[in-house]
Amino acid sequence: MDKILYFIANSTSGSCYKSFKYCFERVEVPLIIYDDKQNIVFSKDKNGETDKGLKTSKSLEKLAKLINQENKPLFKYFLDGSRRTYKVDDIAYDNRLYPIIAGQIGVGCCERKNPSSFKNIILENYLALALPACANKDSIDDELFFNSLIPKFNNLTVLKNRGILFKKILPYSDMRLKEGEKYEHKGIAKIQDEMTESEKRLVIQLVKERRLNFDSYLLKDGSLQYQKIRGGNIIDLSAIKSNYQCVVGVSKSFNPELCRDQKNKSIAKNIADLRLFHRTPAYKYSAERSPGVEFSVWYFRIREVSKTTSPFDGILKVEKILVTDNEQEKGLDSDEIDRISANLINERNPTCYGSDNRWANHLYPVYLTETFIKSRYLSDVFFLNLF
Amino acid sequence: MTKIIGKVAATEKAPTTIDEFYFWTDKIRILHPFDVVKANHIHNSITFGIIEEISHITDAVSYLTSYISSDFGDVSLDANTDRIGMNFVKAKVLGNTENIYNPVLDGSRVSLVNANEVQEALGLDNIKNPLPSGYLEMYEGEDKVILPVNFNSHFLIGPEGSHINISGISGLAAKTSYAMFLIKAIQYKYLNEIDVKPNDTIAFVLFNVKGRDLLAIDEPNERLTDTDKNIYKMLDLDEQPFQNVKYFYPHSNSEHPNTYAHPNDVKYQIDQDRAFKYKYIYEYDKDSLELLFSNIDDTTGTMDSIINYIITGQGEFGNIRNWKDFMSEIDSHCQKQSGKATEITVTSWRKFKRVVRKALTNPLFSKRVVVESNEIRLREHIADKIQKNDVCVVDIAKLDEDMQAFVFGDVIKAVYDMKLGQVGDRPEEEIPTKIIIFVDELNKYASKDAPKSSPILRQIIDITERGRSLGIILFAAEQFRSAIHDSVKGNCATDAYGRTNSIEISKPDYRYIPSVYKGMMTRLKQGEYIIQNPIFRSLLNIKFPNPLYKQFQDG
Repeated sequence: MDKILYFIANSTSGSCYKSFKYCFERVEVPLIIYDDKQNIVFSKDKNGETDKGLKTSKSLEKLAKLINQENKPLFKYFLDGSRRTYKVDDIAYDNRLYPIIAGQIGVGCCERKNPSSFKNIILENYLALALPACANKDSIDDELFFNSLIPKFNNLTVLKNRGILFKKILPYSDMRLKEGEKYEHKGIAKIQDEMTESEKRLVIQLVKERRLNFDSYLLKDGSLQYQKIRGGNIIDLSAIKSNYQCVVGVSKSFNPELCRDQKNKSIAKNIADLRLFHRTPAYKYSAERSPGVEFSVWYFRIREVSKTTSPFDGILKVEKILVTDNEQEKGLDSDEIDRISANLINERNPTCYGSDNRWANHLYPVYLTETFIKSRYLSDVFFLNLF
Repeated sequence: MTKIIGKVAATEKAPTTIDEFYFWTDKIRILHPFDVVKANHIHNSITFGIIEEISHITDAVSYLTSYISSDFGDVSLDANTDRIGMNFVKAKVLGNTENIYNPVLDGSRVSLVNANEVQEALGLDNIKNPLPSGYLEMYEGEDKVILPVNFNSHFLIGPEGSHINISGISGLAAKTSYAMFLIKAIQYKYLNEIDVKPNDTIAFVLFNVKGRDLLAIDEPNERLTDTDKNIYKMLDLDEQPFQNVKYFYPHSNSEHPNTYAHPNDVKYQIDQDRAFKYKYIYEYDKDSLELLFSNIDDTTGTMDSIINYIITGQGEFGNIRNWKDFMSEIDSHCQKQSGKATEITVTSWRKFKRVVRKALTNPLFSKRVVVESNEIRLREHIADKIQKNDVCVVDIAKLDEDMQAFVFGDVIKAVYDMKLGQVGDRPEEEIPTKIIIFVDELNKYASKDAPKSSPILRQIIDITERGRSLGIILFAAEQFRSAIHDSVKGNCATDAYGRTNSIEISKPDYRYIPSVYKGMMTRLKQGEYIIQNPIFRSLLNIKFPNPLYKQFQDG
C-alpha cells in the first residue's frame, strides 16, 4: 500500500521514512486562528463610508425588520472553501528532511432560491500534494516539473483502482527556516493558497454565468484579502475588482487588535461594547498582499452579549472591495453598508447551536455550505491509507 | 415510469440489515405506513420494502438549538433559510427479485412501485383459490395505486388454515360489515362455482346480535354508491345481496317481544317461507340446560350434578313434558326439608332455581312447536334442513345475555353434532362440507375470564382446534382482542384489526406489531383493516366497500 510514497521517492530521487501519518485538523492545537490576515494598512483617512458623521455605532434593527417583511433577502449565493491537510511522510533530499503534505480541498457554492430550497450549484473537490521545491532536482520550471508528475502519479494502481485523482502537486519553499517556522506550515500554506485560488475561480465562474447582480449577492465565508489579487496591470485589476462588486466577505473570527480608529486607538473595546444589531463605522484599508485593492470593513453584533460566552462572540466582521473610483475616493455608500448589514442580521437564524462552538458567529446558509463541502471529503482513515 | 424518491442510507448507528433498510426522501413527499417501495440492489435485482416508520429530522442537535434559532423564543420570527431537514423512512424488507438477502447498499436508489410490483412484493400475485379480502390503496395523487387483495381461500376457510378473528371498537371498526363482506364473497364464489372444488359445498350460520343489523341481508342496499359498485366490480364480485337466506326469530308473545324486527317484516318473511320462529321444548332441549350455566362458577360441581340428575331423568324429571312442570319439580326440591338424605343439598337446588327461573319465563321455552306456523326447533332444523349455500340468520339481539349464550351454544352444538354425524339420518353428501359460523361479541362466550368449566367456551375452543378438519369455521368478532381466550385467538389463521383504542394496543396481544402500525390502529377509518394471514408476507392495510345488503339507519 505504500506505492505512492515509493513513487514519490523514486521520481524525485529522495528517500521516504514511513513516518506516522496524521491529519493536522484532528490534532488539538491551542492556537487562535483568525480569519483575517495580520498585515493590513489602514488608508490615510481611514473612513470607509460616505456618511462621515457616524462616530460610534448605529442600530440596524428597524431596517432589518423592514427588509424581512419584504421577504427578498439580498444574499442568494453562499460560498465557502475548506481544506483538510495531512502529513503523510517525511522525505529526505540532500541530508535534509522535509514533510510530505497532502490535502483535500473543497470549494463550493450553494444557491438559495427560497427558504426551503438550498442546493449546491458548483463544487470543486479535489486532492493535492505539497512537496518541497527541492524535490525538483533540475533547473526545470517547478510548475512544469510537478505537472508532468501528475499523470504518472494518477496512473498508480492504488489510485486508479479507486478512481481517485490528484489534481495538483504543489512545491513549497525549502528556504532555511526562521525561528518558529516549520516546513509543515509552509506545505499547509500552499494547500491553503490553492484553496483560495479555487475560491477565486469560483467567483469568476459565478460572474461569467451572470448569476450575481444587485439583487443577488454572494456571501463568502472568511476574508476577501486574497494573497494574489495581483496589482500591476490596471485593466486586470479593475476586471478582478469588478468581479467582486456583488460579493461580501464575512469573518466569524478576527483579530480585534488590528482595528484602529482615526486617532490610531484600538477600537477593540468599542467592538466588544457594540449593542445588539449595531454596527461600527466602516474603515478603509488595503492589505499588503493585495496592493491596489482597497477594502471597506465594519463590524456589527448579531447576538446579545449576555447570551454568548465572550464579548467578541456574536460579532461579525464584514468586508467589501471598493470597486469604483467614487467608492475608492469617498468610501462605500453608507446606505449600501446598512443594507448589507441589515440583510446579514436577517441571516442570523437558524443557528447551529450544539453542532458548532462558533454558533453565535455562524450564518446558517454559510454553515450549510461548509457542512456540505466537508461531507464530500474522503474519510481520514481512507485517505491516509492510500499512502 | 419509475419515480425515484430517495436513496438508501446505511450509517454506523442505523445499518441496513437483512430485515430492514432506511432511506431518505424529500420532506414534502407524502408516504404512508404500508406503502411499498423498491430499492435497486446488486446483480440488477430489486429489493422490495414496506414502510414501517417515517421520521423527520433536521441538523438541530437539540430542542435548545431550535429555541435559540428563534432568537431565544421569539415565536414571530421568520428566518430567511429553513433549517435543513429531510424525512427518513424505515422499510421492512419484503423480498428480492433474485432472492438476494444481502443488506441493501448505501446510496441505492429508492422508487415507487406500480400495481404489478406491489403484487409481486406482497406475494399477492399467483394466489391460488383467490377470495377477495378487500383492496389496498397506496401513495397519493397521480402516483396512487389501487389493487384488489385476495386471500388464498384454503387459508381462510380450510383445509390449510381456518377461522378469522376480527377485532375493533364498536361502530368505527365495522366488524360485522367486514365479516359480511367476506361471507358474501364466499357465497358468491360457491354459488357460481368459481375456484371451488367439485363436491365442496358451504353453508352459513350467522348470529344477529345488534338491532336489525342482519335481518334484511337478502334485500339490496339502496344507498350503495357508484364508487362502491366499481370496487365490487374490481374485486370480481356481483352487486347482489345475499341469496338463500333464512331468518330464525326467537318465539315471542305480546309480553315478551324477543326481537327488534318489525312484526310486519317478520310476518312478511314468514309468509314467504324465509323466516321461522324457534322454540325450546323440555323433552328435547333439557340436555342444553347446562348452557345456561356457562358464566356461573361451579367449582364444587353441584350445578353439574343437578343437571345430570335432570338429564338422566332421576326423580320425577323423567316424566315431565313441559317447562312449567319442570319448574314445579325444581320448587319441590327446593322445599325438601332436612332429615331426608339427599346427595344434593337444598341450597344447591335453590341456586339452580335462581339461575333457570328467569330464563324459563321467556316464551322461547314452550310446550310444543307448530310446524305449519313456521315454528321450529333450531337444533333440529339445522341438523336436518341446512342446505348448501344457505345463510341462516339466528336473531338473538333482544335476548338477555344468558339466553344469547344458551342459543349460541345450542346452535354450535347442533352444527358440531351434525358434522360428526351424530344426529339425523341425512346422507353425508347432502350435508354442506363446510359451515361458517359468524358471531359478534365473542367475548361473551370465549372470554379469558370465563369459568374453565363453561360448556360454551369448551365448544368454541373445540371448534377452533378441531373445526378445520371437520369443516366448521368460526368467523368471530369482538371489541377487544385482549379479552379473548388465548386458545381461541391462537387457532385463528387470519386476524383482522380494525380501529381500536390506545389502552387496547398496550396489551401483550399487540406486542409483535410495529409501533407505527399500532398507532395507525387507533386512527383507522371505518372500512379499513390491518390484516394478517399466513400467505401475506407482511401485515396489510386494506379497505373494503360498503355492504350490499339493506342497512337500517336506526339500528
